Amino acid sequence: MTVLDALFQIQDRMDPSLSFRYSCRGAVCGSCSMLINKEPRLACRTQISYAKSNDMKLKPFSAIGETPAGWNPEVEILIEPLPNMPILKDLVVDMTKFYDVLESMKLWSDAEDGDTPRSQTPDERKKVERYVNCILCALCYGSCPVNAEKEDYVGPAALAKAWRFHEDSRSLEPERYTKAVKRPEGAPLCDLIMNCVKACPKGVAPGGAIRKLKNL
Amino acid sequence: MTISSFEHDVIIVGAGLSGLRVAIELCEKFDIAIVTKVHPLRSHSVAAQGGINAALGEDDSWEAHAFDTVKGSDYLADQDVVEILAKAAPGAVIENERWGTAFSRTEDGKIAQRPFGGAAFPRTCYAADRTGHNLLHTTFEQALKRGIKFYTEWFVISLVKSKDQVCGLTALDIATGEVHGFTAKAVVLATGGFGRVYGHSTNALINTGDGCALALRVGAPLKDLEFIQFHPTCLYGSSILMTEGARGEGGYLVNAEGKRFMEKYAPEKMELAPRDIVARAIQTEVLERRGFEDEYVHLDLRHLGKEKIMERLPGIREICIYFAGVDPIEEPIPIQPAQHYSMGGIHTNKHGETPVSGLFAVGETACMSVHGANRLGGNSLLETLVFGRVVGEKVGEYTSSAKQPDKSCVEEEAFKMREHLQTLLLHEGGDSTANIRETMGQTMDVLVGVYRKSDALEAALKMIRELKTRFKNVSVGQSDDKFNFALVRTLELENMLDLAEVITMGALMRRESRGAHWRLDYPQRDDENFLKHSLFTMVDDYIKTELIDVNLGKFDVKERTY
Repeated sequence: MTVLDALFQIQDRMDPSLSFRYSCRGAVCGSCSMLINKEPRLACRTQISYAKSNDMKLKPFSAIGETPAGWNPEVEILIEPLPNMPILKDLVVDMTKFYDVLESMKLWSDAEDGDTPRSQTPDERKKVERYVNCILCALCYGSCPVNAEKEDYVGPAALAKAWRFHEDSRSLEPERYTKAVKRPEGAPLCDLIMNCVKACPKGVAPGGAIRKLKNL
Repeated sequence: MTISSFEHDVIIVGAGLSGLRVAIELCEKFDIAIVTKVHPLRSHSVAAQGGINAALGEDDSWEAHAFDTVKGSDYLADQDVVEILAKAAPGAVIENERWGTAFSRTEDGKIAQRPFGGAAFPRTCYAADRTGHNLLHTTFEQALKRGIKFYTEWFVISLVKSKDQVCGLTALDIATGEVHGFTAKAVVLATGGFGRVYGHSTNALINTGDGCALALRVGAPLKDLEFIQFHPTCLYGSSILMTEGARGEGGYLVNAEGKRFMEKYAPEKMELAPRDIVARAIQTEVLERRGFEDEYVHLDLRHLGKEKIMERLPGIREICIYFAGVDPIEEPIPIQPAQHYSMGGIHTNKHGETPVSGLFAVGETACMSVHGANRLGGNSLLETLVFGRVVGEKVGEYTSSAKQPDKSCVEEEAFKMREHLQTLLLHEGGDSTANIRETMGQTMDVLVGVYRKSDALEAALKMIRELKTRFKNVSVGQSDDKFNFALVRTLELENMLDLAEVITMGALMRRESRGAHWRLDYPQRDDENFLKHSLFTMVDDYIKTELIDVNLGKFDVKERTY
């Protein structure tokens, strides 16, 4: 049984008022990000038996460092909303800021029409593969001590996505993306704490991309 | 001031690949908006794994793609629609490549293609085993670039008609619990499939067929609903999809006796026979006691080697490890068939027009019909992008000459829907939503599954009608306004019960075996009586059924063997 299964059991059998987001239940849609035993995880991919493992070894900040009184980690799994975003209800958080930077940083390809596919070698694709695997679940955003303190910080996912377009051999104007991340609320705010690398469920490792962006 | 209703030229319901592609087609010329119950990136398109078909290869042709699709459909697909799909396929793939999708590549830099079931050529373009994820994220980026307006986490409750024409809809703002009206010249339904009618499904939990149920209630017919695709290889336990690409890359299906049993069922194509045939083969092996624990068989990838698995099937490996504790590099994967795709849907012509003026449908929610009795893998992602554009063009034509409808009709309907929800929330003491939903899922799994027969289908229909009666007094259990997912799931159940009834009626009515619909009591295809589409229309409170002609074409109807 996964944590998401357990939440549905509660909603179906005990407390129908419990609110949480869900969709694919197969760790591809990125809906069910939450804090499980103080570690940011996808509820659908976290087996109950695994929830206690606590192997992420994040650098603590208030939301993940402080434990509530009365929690008995031996027999209870603590489930909280994803940190660093306003709570709307129960486990549902307001992700507006997380989504809005995709637009304000213009994180898309500047497509030109054409009748043929562009060429890209497997090696060129390999440079972006890790980053295109990002599912925008925001676990990195919820794990980041900088996001906890600095409201304006765009967060690791957006920066990794900018790097994805910068590194894509097909991009027409790669500098556009680096310009976007150099704004004050972008890469300069990252302290390279690397919680994002540890929390990412897809091996995207945003912190590695941000380090490269900072060195450009 | 609170806004009581919204107004746009066109409203699209659903933000998966179909809905986004329609929106992109229309957004420059019209005031459009997408209403979606989940954030666009959480749409089920994201979960498509194996790929998207296009005859890009020099030895391949649109005719070969069309033939494979028609044969795969057991000749029930409308051949004029298949022609559009196959001809437009390369363009759709190239468009998305140019938008930024990171397709896997050949050494010389071309889009890589893998073999897929029922196809004569390796025609399936892919991005590892995350093709849907890549296409959806890319298409969403292009929607953002164009500034498309989204109403995110809004659940559509009803379509509104003025005289005989759709003039808008009503929707629940999930965040606030408020019901608002939306006025529009045209409404496009792009809500995906209805897999969650079944207990065992690869589908996302949100795939509840909302669009089909909405259409049925305003008099738009549903078509071919009995054709449910059961995907052969779904992870035992959770029913999460194990892509056909796993077999395309060379994976074996093995029974408990250690035999590659497909040699008995499809000696030529083996594991790469179409899905309906492989699903039945697995079910037969299990029923005849050659499965493991009388439940499942093995999908064995070990001989592909670590490198190939890591490069081509990394997503499958991740799912196996996290959801089944199995690493396919070391061990075979336990799999069984589960509901996967809805070939049927809202009856439309090849432009996505329903018989109800102003109402359009596209993608899995529609039935044009391009998949007939059985869809080939790699054709559904393709359908979303090709017909998203085609339907978008038609909606544009229609909207240009349509008048903006009067707001009063949607405002009146919104008032009625507020009352309806309030009444629903006050029910006490009835069955819970979960109980009814679980019984429905088990009923459909057991009685309307891979193998069907008359008495089981009769029993299913009786049970579903009983559940519909019990639903009238369903107890939602909570009346909060904000994020009332108990209410949303109850409304979804109401939609699914309507569809479960129609699926079962269709399965009973079709006394033959064709494609994914297999009747143990009628094991032959019967072209004389059933080379027809089934059509279901709600008239007052009963469902009228009829059979209509299939558009045949250049490919003669033949026996289907692989």
